[in-house]
Amino acid sequence: MTQQASKQQSILTRLPFSMAFLPLAMEFADKGARGFGYGDREAGGLVLAVEELFSFYVRQAAGGSTVAIEMEDQSYRLALSISFRLANPDMRAFNLTWRVNPDSDESLDMLGPMIAARSVSSLRLDFGADERVALRLTRDRDYAPAGAVALPPPAAAAALHLADPSPDDLHHFAAMAVASGSPFLPPFLARPGMAADMLAAGHLDALLLLNGDWIVGGLLWRPLTDSCLELYGPYLFNEDAEDHALRLLLDEAVSRISRSRSRGLVRRQGPLAGHERFFDFLGELRLTGINGAAANATYYYRQLREESGGVVYCAGRLAAFLGEQYDRLCLPRQVRATSSGPTRLRDASALAVELEHPRSLAVIRPLCAGKDMAANLTAHLELLRGEGISNFIVEINTGRSEDVAFATALEETGFVPRLLIPDAGLGDLVIYDHCGPGVQP
Amino acid sequence: MNLEALIPEYVRSFQAYLPSRPDHLLQEEYGVPLLHRLNNNENPLGPPPAAARVIAAFAPERAAVYPSGDSYDLRQALGSRFGVSPDRFLVGNGSCEVISSVIKAFCQPGDNIVTADKTFAVYEWVAEFSGIEARLAPLRDYAFDPQAMLDRIDGRTKILFVCNPNNPTGSYWTRQVLVDFLEKVGDNRIVVVDEAYREYVEDPEFPDAIELMERFPNVVAFRTFSKMYALAGLRSGYLAGTDAVVDVVRRTSVVYSVNVQAQQAALAALADDREHIAATRALVREAKTFLRGVCDYLALETVGGEGNYLMIQTPINDMLMYRRLMKRGMMVRSMTGFRYPGWIRVTLREMAVMELFAEALRKEIQAIRLTNKGMK
Repeated sequence: MTQQASKQQSILTRLPFSMAFLPLAMEFADKGARGFGYGDREAGGLVLAVEELFSFYVRQAAGGSTVAIEMEDQSYRLALSISFRLANPDMRAFNLTWRVNPDSDESLDMLGPMIAARSVSSLRLDFGADERVALRLTRDRDYAPAGAVALPPPAAAAALHLADPSPDDLHHFAAMAVASGSPFLPPFLARPGMAADMLAAGHLDALLLLNGDWIVGGLLWRPLTDSCLELYGPYLFNEDAEDHALRLLLDEAVSRISRSRSRGLVRRQGPLAGHERFFDFLGELRLTGINGAAANATYYYRQLREESGGVVYCAGRLAAFLGEQYDRLCLPRQVRATSSGPTRLRDASALAVELEHPRSLAVIRPLCAGKDMAANLTAHLELLRGEGISNFIVEINTGRSEDVAFATALEETGFVPRLLIPDAGLGDLVIYDHCGPGVQP
Repeated sequence: MNLEALIPEYVRSFQAYLPSRPDHLLQEEYGVPLLHRLNNNENPLGPPPAAARVIAAFAPERAAVYPSGDSYDLRQALGSRFGVSPDRFLVGNGSCEVISSVIKAFCQPGDNIVTADKTFAVYEWVAEFSGIEARLAPLRDYAFDPQAMLDRIDGRTKILFVCNPNNPTGSYWTRQVLVDFLEKVGDNRIVVVDEAYREYVEDPEFPDAIELMERFPNVVAFRTFSKMYALAGLRSGYLAGTDAVVDVVRRTSVVYSVNVQAQQAALAALADDREHIAATRALVREAKTFLRGVCDYLALETVGGEGNYLMIQTPINDMLMYRRLMKRGMMVRSMTGFRYPGWIRVTLREMAVMELFAEALRKEIQAIRLTNKGMK
């Protein structure tokens, strides 16, 4: 399968990296967003982010350097990147826990990136070769919630058939998924217009199950990382006593995905009866919802390519965990022990946090390692607990030494490795959860 | 350098095929002292005796001299063998090379080819990375569906690929089915009949595409020395077509691509294949009967017709089954890449290996069922 992205529109500007060009950079973001048909809220968020990030980093940039700003309309969101060359960028301010000290000029300076991080839908930092830093921001379009739709009446399964949805079909299906009360709805499905636009943009694939003219089920998939797809569903609106509908959907979806560029397929929703035929069981995370009810996430995985092996360098508890998981999943990896962490660390580490309020969940990902990793993790836990978050996940990628460097700090702060997603990034993705305040793992 | 700007869109979106790592590395990674190859449909008997002697006697100084650029002697032998002019054969570095030559010869961007969705993937791959649309007709009852293929033809369809017998299902079209199909296709398109596994077929109703070329000049036959003739390591395959068709395909073929040892071994194999084919067929027959019995006993569904392979449905996903069997020293082919998730394909080999495989499979199935029972 070749994922066909529809033709996207983008604009690009390259400016001298100096304060004199800040207004032009902001105007670029504003006029670009409006030109692509976005409203005040979406444009405003991006303009604010550009203002804050530009102002912050321009002070550290060498004289005579340039900044490139690119905006792409992906129809359901705007993607904006700001890239420049900078030695030793100070990433502390991307930590959610960064607090402004009004008595400190340096602290006040750091306020900008924090505001930027909070004014967009997502923010990612990429460190390239040659001291290049790329800040990648997205701002989702604002969509209306799902309206009321009817669910299909019970019917015999004999007449089931599969169909590729149009954006309108998917819009209707998303509204049905909401109406069915499924407890595992990704945000884009809860906003049917967003799902439809993502499908049209080629950022989402879907397959529907029909019985006559009724949509009776469906499933969706989209990239989780460059090498891994995430599957959502199957959502079934009728009884499926013999798993007939489930098999139809999953067999066809896996067949279509099997010749894509992805190496793996992950499903992170609730338990799936009869999963053995389709997936490897990776494990389960025990989550507590806002109302205190359990809302566990069961992780399944399926390789799409025959395994090609690999080597992971790590130590301590992480090494033991990886060894067990590789053995259980029959994954041919060599775990090579390292006696100590990286010898050269920055003073300050940085963490990115993605919040899912409906599940009271914070997903924490390392941006860069530093000497304060344990303290930084602890500070994040305290702040997030203070904001009412009760579930904490940390994802580290075994292919990134900056991530693996966090292993000891994670253990010290009460995080426990729970499961592993093979080939989900540069290497495998290890998911940690937290055993609770004051609880030793 | 802006490499992205240089890459055609159809290449940018194409995922390179990554072959398996060398056996010695796989053995190390999976911790097994020996790996039995049941993944590539190789013939465990090795080449026919005359070909084996040619390979053993190969003089090193011959390696310094270019081979015949167009496999001259081998084409003469093929002409004699099949009773047609040697000029109607093109020999390639395995049949994959001639697939590429045919597509390059007849297709340009905007054109399309038609084949099945669950068959040898190289027709589809070569088309896609050449900017040609591959239209895929679903199999029907595990076999190529003539009507579904006909339904996908339009004014830009240049080539139809029929894998006969089909890899991986082993199904095949009889002569009558193929003739009916050719009559409906008409003579404005090329029909490639890939007969890589034809020597395994014993049914007298199995068609001979080279013979059919006399009546249907748009037919092109693909054959290989990699399967029955056990010369996979030397890479040699060929196509046969009418003079006019071969004259066109020759323009997009690379000369000197078939090495001298491959040409000599193929030539010898052709001359000494009667007993070799009989022995191989007997081996496959015995292994197929045995493995089907094992799968029946284990209540595993199988699909297999002609060819030296059998598909087995697994109770867990095929990629995990592949890795579990690798840990037992058994290398099979997972079928996800063939769009058959939940199936593996097993090469039929000598009984000693089949018995080891059966034991490994039995242990795995038993362990899986115990685990599943425990979970319920």
